[in-house]
Amino acid sequence: MRFACDTGGTFTDLIVEDGSGKLSMYKAPTTPEDPVAGVLDALGLAAIDFKMDRADFLAHGTMLIHGTTHAINAIVTGNTAKTAFLTTAGHPDILVLREAGRIEPFNFHVPYPEPYIPRSLTFEIPERVGSNGKIVEKFDEAAVLRVIAKLKRAKIEAVAVCLLWSIVNPVNERKIGRLLKKHLPGVPFTLSHQLNPALREYRRASSAAIDASLKPLMARYLGGLTERLGAAGFAGRTLVLTSQGGMVDARDLAERPIHAINSGPSMAPIAGRHYSGGERKTPNAIIADTGGTTYDVSLVRRGRIPKTRETWIGRPYRGHMTGFPSIDIKSVGAGGGSIAHVDGGEILHVGPESAGAVPGPVCYRNGGDQPTLTDACLVLGYLDPNFFLGGLMKLDVAAARRAIEQQVAKPLGLNVMQAAWSVVGVATENMVQAISEITVNQGIDPADAILIGGGGAAGLNSVFIARRLGCRELVIPETGAALSAAGAMMSDLSSDYRAMFFTSSADWDEAGVNAILKDLEASCKEFATGPGEGAQTTKIEFSVEARYAGQVWEIDVPLRKSRLRGKAALVALIADFHDAHEEVFAVRDDGSVVEFVGWTASVRCRLGSGRAGRVRHSAAEDIVLGKRKVYFENHGRVDTPIHSLQSLKTGQRKKGPAIIETPFTTIVVDPGASFLLARLGSVHITA
Amino acid sequence: MKSTKPKKLDGAKLAILANRFGGICSKMGNTLLRTGRSGVLNRAKDFSCCIVTRDCELLHAEESLPIHVLSGPDLMARSMHEFHPVLKRGDVFLHNSPYHGDSHPADHTLLMPVIDKAGVHHFTLLAKAHQADIGNSIPTTYHGTARDVYEEGALIFPAVKVVENYQINEDIVRMCRMRIRVPDQWYGDFLAMLGAAFIGEREVLALGGEIGWATLHGFTDQWFDYSERRMVAAIKAMPAGKGVGKSTHDAIPGTPPDGITITSKVKVDAKKALISVDLRDNPDQLNCGLNVSEACTRTSAMIGVFNSVDPSVPKNAGAFRRIELQLKDGGVVGVPRHPISCSAATTNLADRVQNATQLALAAIADPLGMGEIGCFCPPSTSVVSGVDPRNGQPYVNQLFLGHTAGAAVAYQDAWMTMLHAGNGGMCFIDSVELDEVYTPIIVKTRRLIPNSEGAGRFRGAPGIEVELGPVDCRMEVGFVADGNINRPRGARGAGDAARSDQFRRKKNGKLERLAQCSQVWIEDGEMLISIACGGGGYGDPTTRDPNRVGRDVGEGIVGVARARDVYAVAVSKNGTLDTKKTRDLRRKKSKEKMI
Repeated sequence: MRFACDTGGTFTDLIVEDGSGKLSMYKAPTTPEDPVAGVLDALGLAAIDFKMDRADFLAHGTMLIHGTTHAINAIVTGNTAKTAFLTTAGHPDILVLREAGRIEPFNFHVPYPEPYIPRSLTFEIPERVGSNGKIVEKFDEAAVLRVIAKLKRAKIEAVAVCLLWSIVNPVNERKIGRLLKKHLPGVPFTLSHQLNPALREYRRASSAAIDASLKPLMARYLGGLTERLGAAGFAGRTLVLTSQGGMVDARDLAERPIHAINSGPSMAPIAGRHYSGGERKTPNAIIADTGGTTYDVSLVRRGRIPKTRETWIGRPYRGHMTGFPSIDIKSVGAGGGSIAHVDGGEILHVGPESAGAVPGPVCYRNGGDQPTLTDACLVLGYLDPNFFLGGLMKLDVAAARRAIEQQVAKPLGLNVMQAAWSVVGVATENMVQAISEITVNQGIDPADAILIGGGGAAGLNSVFIARRLGCRELVIPETGAALSAAGAMMSDLSSDYRAMFFTSSADWDEAGVNAILKDLEASCKEFATGPGEGAQTTKIEFSVEARYAGQVWEIDVPLRKSRLRGKAALVALIADFHDAHEEVFAVRDDGSVVEFVGWTASVRCRLGSGRAGRVRHSAAEDIVLGKRKVYFENHGRVDTPIHSLQSLKTGQRKKGPAIIETPFTTIVVDPGASFLLARLGSVHITA
Repeated sequence: MKSTKPKKLDGAKLAILANRFGGICSKMGNTLLRTGRSGVLNRAKDFSCCIVTRDCELLHAEESLPIHVLSGPDLMARSMHEFHPVLKRGDVFLHNSPYHGDSHPADHTLLMPVIDKAGVHHFTLLAKAHQADIGNSIPTTYHGTARDVYEEGALIFPAVKVVENYQINEDIVRMCRMRIRVPDQWYGDFLAMLGAAFIGEREVLALGGEIGWATLHGFTDQWFDYSERRMVAAIKAMPAGKGVGKSTHDAIPGTPPDGITITSKVKVDAKKALISVDLRDNPDQLNCGLNVSEACTRTSAMIGVFNSVDPSVPKNAGAFRRIELQLKDGGVVGVPRHPISCSAATTNLADRVQNATQLALAAIADPLGMGEIGCFCPPSTSVVSGVDPRNGQPYVNQLFLGHTAGAAVAYQDAWMTMLHAGNGGMCFIDSVELDEVYTPIIVKTRRLIPNSEGAGRFRGAPGIEVELGPVDCRMEVGFVADGNINRPRGARGAGDAARSDQFRRKKNGKLERLAQCSQVWIEDGEMLISIACGGGGYGDPTTRDPNRVGRDVGEGIVGVARARDVYAVAVSKNGTLDTKKTRDLRRKKSKEKMI
């Protein structure tokens, strides 16, 4: 059995793939104080369903793939370690100046961003390496020891080190590493040249700073996860999802926790690609994952998942750059738990504040007293109070109604139904804006794309979002309620190896290039026979970052073969570069020298089948069919038929209004829309 | 061709189409950044991409350098139509004439009319990029002391057709190659701009095909009307009144000995929802390179205004209907006449126009206006040239190695990295490592200067010190600094920023002060030291939130003594506040003021 478990802000989603390849889904409330408890709770629910005791059940597991928001939450809430920044003397403001740049040049309301590590915890180290790698200023070990004494006194919990030109000559960073290990034992540190051997000191410094600041808590978290899973009876392998859309062993991630920043959300587009058809000619897809707290939007563009070269935590130029590429995801504070409130100016806001898992919406009766999107949907009749999470949780309609009445309807002078509808309307608009932003950036027209709704709350208003955007079709996959976990089941074990080696078309160093490629391939093979052992398939791909002489930004050009031998191979590579440049940038400069800078080999090991199996249906899905009163704008309260997934015949189109109930999601189809159950078990809706 | 009457678009459609045009501009900009060859483009991002309508009205330029675009694209497009009454698909025009709407000769601009299959012109795209070199008589793109365009030496292209039917006119390329330093670099940048224009054209043609041209033109009319309505509402919410602001540029050769004082008279007429800026009370054009072109004069005044307007008002021809400008013909700012030089028109005096306008607004009422933004261009942003000993090749490029300059507004501390007033903080700061790879230099120091900020209720940015020198060679540097005598001033009782300065560190370690406007050689073993200004504050410093002062002290931006003497805040070196002592200090200060 394989487990995929994604801890979100509100729910912890679990997908279990049994021996026959069938999937089962479970949801347990996230436990923010101790997220591992939520993982174990979800596994407990699965064990009950499989009629085993938990230890027995866990003993059947060969692999657990985990997505976690622990790292990003710590950064957003400022709960990372107290981290010091050590850098070359004379350059203390690398993290303050960043790379400058700004958006909205006429907006002076926005404060200049604080550095990731304050100046007061920045220490200058007397040393300097030149751009050619030669020592320009001697390394002052005594000064480093004095700094370490200060770090001790300041009770520093982690250290980031970034020296100028450490990527050309890392000797001084290594010396600092040895001194830290010796004189500041137990305090984790990150050396920039080891983590992210890239040119541009700010990016490398920012990578190191973020990574170091996450080390103490991620080591605790991932160590605790593995240990407690083991104690509970799990003897398989624990893998964690990365921002790049792959997965790595938990203990490896603890060494480089910066890669966990978009763990989880990065999987939604992988599942989305599967459910959108996945082939090259298929339409573009927008994947919107509605959780309790955030709304994450990602894209599939002609079968490919776009990455950003520059990943920002926060908005560009106002936050911090991670220094690594990642899957492009736009995240906004909107979800089932988003709180609705009316401000002094009598304007209704929904989110970004969320009632989260604790206390949750009013209707959970866990102490929440502010109305949320979920409460509004309950009042409108979208949710069945007796069948939430497959009946695991009873919802309090009267309490939700009171909260909406007092906090939304009265101040706005509306009746309760209108007020609840307004909450849904505002939340819908916020979500539409998030989608517009990312589709505009990637040049995709929503009208030419299908919308894939994932997450437990997706079914509630996705049909309104699809109509607002003019999307041709809305698809709610059968694993939609746990889309990231489903994506995790399809993801590959992967690792990228990158080396800097400069050569050009003018003085091509064939032997040098092939030596680098050989080394990179060896690293890939070591990975394939190490962590990747037993994979069903293994694939190694090579590429080079190249540019015209004088440019400073490279484009990736895939290599046709694993080695470049003879004149013909070089000529082909140069031609490929010119073509790629013209395709991306509309011009080519055939007369210019082409420079080759960075060489990458990526290894991907397929551990599962790479496809999602179908969902196993359980008895718990015997839903009361029939009708209930549901409110729609311009229609009022309408008698609306209730369907279960099993009650639908594949391929038969029906008209709204309708509600389709599954244990983990409720799909609302308003009058004017139509829907059908498609082959892969997805519900397709035309708004 | 289908010709349908444009239908009225709803708010959502308007927003989506506006975003689509914005997306096209971003895509053009991305192309320029990624493919540019000179550091001024690919490291500093000193370029802009924008769209004007078939009537030459500015449609979209939101994420551009403000000084490049608010006015200028309109004037340049008009000159293109005037000189080339018949436009054909695949035409591209090179324009850098400050006498025909460009900002200054260093900003080469490519204009590409978007023409459909039927031969109808719909929009014009502009890619405008500051060049590393333009063939001036000395290796700099800011010739501060040029007595006219002939001494300046720039090749001037008044909307010259360089591409016909998508094919480059090689005659012009050959001309440029003979007269522009490091011709391969120039040609690479030219291709980068052309790529941006081609990509923009492809996208607009696709948009027109998808949405329909009639709808798109209907959109532009409605978008302008909407923008004007937003501007009307914004002005009506502002305090009305009249104010006068003055800002003085330090003297350089060719200017009067006391420098050049710019006067801006601003009137906010809330009733008519109109803001007028009168720039006529200013000196005549001078025999130096500081004269401000018409495009930059207009733009600087407009930026000064927009910096006090609700930032969500779109900046386009619609909003511009509510701004009235009065310029002096033949003025040092206004409409300078050929052959006077406008070599440094985007920065030095243009910044003073903007600063004077902002001070005039601040004189009307709190919260209008802002402090003076720091001065350009210190040696950390010089144009450097020489021969790279690592490959024997000549090089020329502008560095962007250290800038702050941000000034405070009435409600927020400065955005630190503004570069200079007209830039709006849009340019990047060079990576030390990248500059050391591409130029034979070493950057010894780049650090903020404590106690150099313009104090205030909200404070300006601190200044920045950069020390750099050539490696195994000598290097020629050119810069036109300002702000040593006339420091960036604070607004409404706030303090000024510390002065700028520049030195050569000689081989014996001694410092030698350099002239503010210099074209000098730094020898192997010597270092160039640049002290660049921060910006002015806003409001009385003794009313600043003591917690903010505490944080500045803890972070080493402000010292303990300055906190006490200027801000009347008692704080320890690590930033811990003494609330009681602070209260006493502030009480004492306010008593002093009463007396």
